[in-house]
Amino acid sequence: MQAILSFEQAPPMAAPFRFFLTAPLFALLAGLLLLVAGPEALLSRWTPGALALTHLVALGFVLQVMLGAMIQILPVVAGANLSHPLWVARIVHALLLAGVLCLAGSFLGWFSGFVPAAALLGAGVGCFILMAALSLRGVPPTSATITGLKVALLSLAAVLALGIALAGGMGGSWSLPMVETIHAHAGWGLAGWGLGLLSAVAYVVVPMFQLTPLYPHWFSRFFGGSLLAVAVLATPAVLFGHDVLAGLLQALLVWIAAVFCAMTLWLQARSKRARPDTTQRLWRGAMQSGLAACALWALVALVPALGERDEWPLLFGVLVLAGGYMSVIIGMLYKVVPFLVWLHLQNRGRGKVVAPNMKAVLAEAPMQRQMRVHFAACALLAGGVLWPAGLARPAGLAMVASAVLLAINLLSALGVYRRHAALVDARLAELGLAEAGVGRRA
Amino acid sequence: MTTIRDFMTDDHRRCDDVFAEVEQAVADGDWTAAGACFTRFHESVLQHFAAEESLLFPAFERKTGMSMGPTQVMRSEHVQMRELMQAAADALAAKNADDYAGNAETLLIMMQQHNMKEENILYPMCDQHLAYEAETLVPQLRAEMPGAGA
Repeated sequence: MQAILSFEQAPPMAAPFRFFLTAPLFALLAGLLLLVAGPEALLSRWTPGALALTHLVALGFVLQVMLGAMIQILPVVAGANLSHPLWVARIVHALLLAGVLCLAGSFLGWFSGFVPAAALLGAGVGCFILMAALSLRGVPPTSATITGLKVALLSLAAVLALGIALAGGMGGSWSLPMVETIHAHAGWGLAGWGLGLLSAVAYVVVPMFQLTPLYPHWFSRFFGGSLLAVAVLATPAVLFGHDVLAGLLQALLVWIAAVFCAMTLWLQARSKRARPDTTQRLWRGAMQSGLAACALWALVALVPALGERDEWPLLFGVLVLAGGYMSVIIGMLYKVVPFLVWLHLQNRGRGKVVAPNMKAVLAEAPMQRQMRVHFAACALLAGGVLWPAGLARPAGLAMVASAVLLAINLLSALGVYRRHAALVDARLAELGLAEAGVGRRA
Repeated sequence: MTTIRDFMTDDHRRCDDVFAEVEQAVADGDWTAAGACFTRFHESVLQHFAAEESLLFPAFERKTGMSMGPTQVMRSEHVQMRELMQAAADALAAKNADDYAGNAETLLIMMQQHNMKEENILYPMCDQHLAYEAETLVPQLRAEMPGAGA
């Protein structure tokens, strides 16, 4: 019965949109932070500024959009129905926002809020994991996407548990091997959760939006499981300081990520679409940045002197988080937001009033403009790691500009929704259909 | 034996291919070719819808007793896609590339998310419930969709 219900239970628009609309705010805060803190923030990965910046982007932007998107896609791609999606969205969203701000403030030393941050994020993300797991319970793994979603969700639980352990350590609640735990936390976050979810979604959306061949069966069948298996094996090796084994398993994770990026680029090169649109370019940029990050990892493994420098982990982080995850997420927002606006307007009009098409909701030109500024911000950030004195502040400024343009684009799409919804309601009232619209979800 | 899922999924891919041909022709500014390809695309999709609505969905509904379930949602999405295809056809007739691109993009995503629900959920349910009928049903579906399975 679960699968049947999924056809009728697409979540209301307000459930995913609250995540999508507030995410640019955190990219903006990250940019402002870099602008104010300047070169010092980029001196090493351990500076308060770098830690706050990383979490503003990873949690405030990347995780936030991913959670909103997952609420939207669970019923569609997996036939998994989140119960009370709007309430889950409201609670998770509010706790996530408060938790990320509290965490960033704690990293910056403004107040000692690691324990409250852990409580807020633990409750918010924990609530999401629980509800998503309940919705996926009993859904048979009929596609690689469903398996991938399960892998991602398990990994998110690991990231969260390790994050809470770290916050407790930072807040003085207990002691633990911090550096090793941080490595495990970052590994689960970037590989298990991030790549687990990205690959699960990619199996569907890369062929779907870009009309490419499907990911090969051998690839999608084994990818999620391999990712999970290696992450599971690497965790004790990292936590208990088995350096050689940990290094090998981490390298294996990086190779797995590189294969995904290369495979996606290979498929995209076979797209049947006439010319790449903004989404496709952002995906391509993301996969190239991911490959660059993997190449950097390999280089550091080959040249140990590089591994001792403070720049390389920061550069790796910039390539993966800003160049990789942020790019792909912006690209997805540019498809999902206009489509959902169209879909909800179409449903609202009930066949009596035609909805504006996706490009009338959000045109290609402003998306492209924002994409260029975003890529410039990524380049400046990478440059800023290597030459903080000269490029840290320009990178911050570019991040601010990119976040503002993204917010303008998303809000303009919402503006189209609001204006057109009012028109639809007026038209339906003229037709005497207003009362039938009661209870409509939008 | 070909399953319902495999057969119908192949037809989705065939329609995607023709959709891409139209887009390519529009990008090249070849309105004559675009018009001809679009007619082929439009016909293929309408045949696919008709085969589902007249054969597959009724068989599923008879067998499961669910007439207001997934098939109902699929029918209403067919209505939305018919409207989008008409809007795209009008834009092509007016040689309005921007308007075509907007409607085609919306149609593509609507169509793909619809296909995904059918391929991952509805068709497997059809294969499960109509296991004995599939042997006669697939050839009937093929007869309704002249371009399919070619």
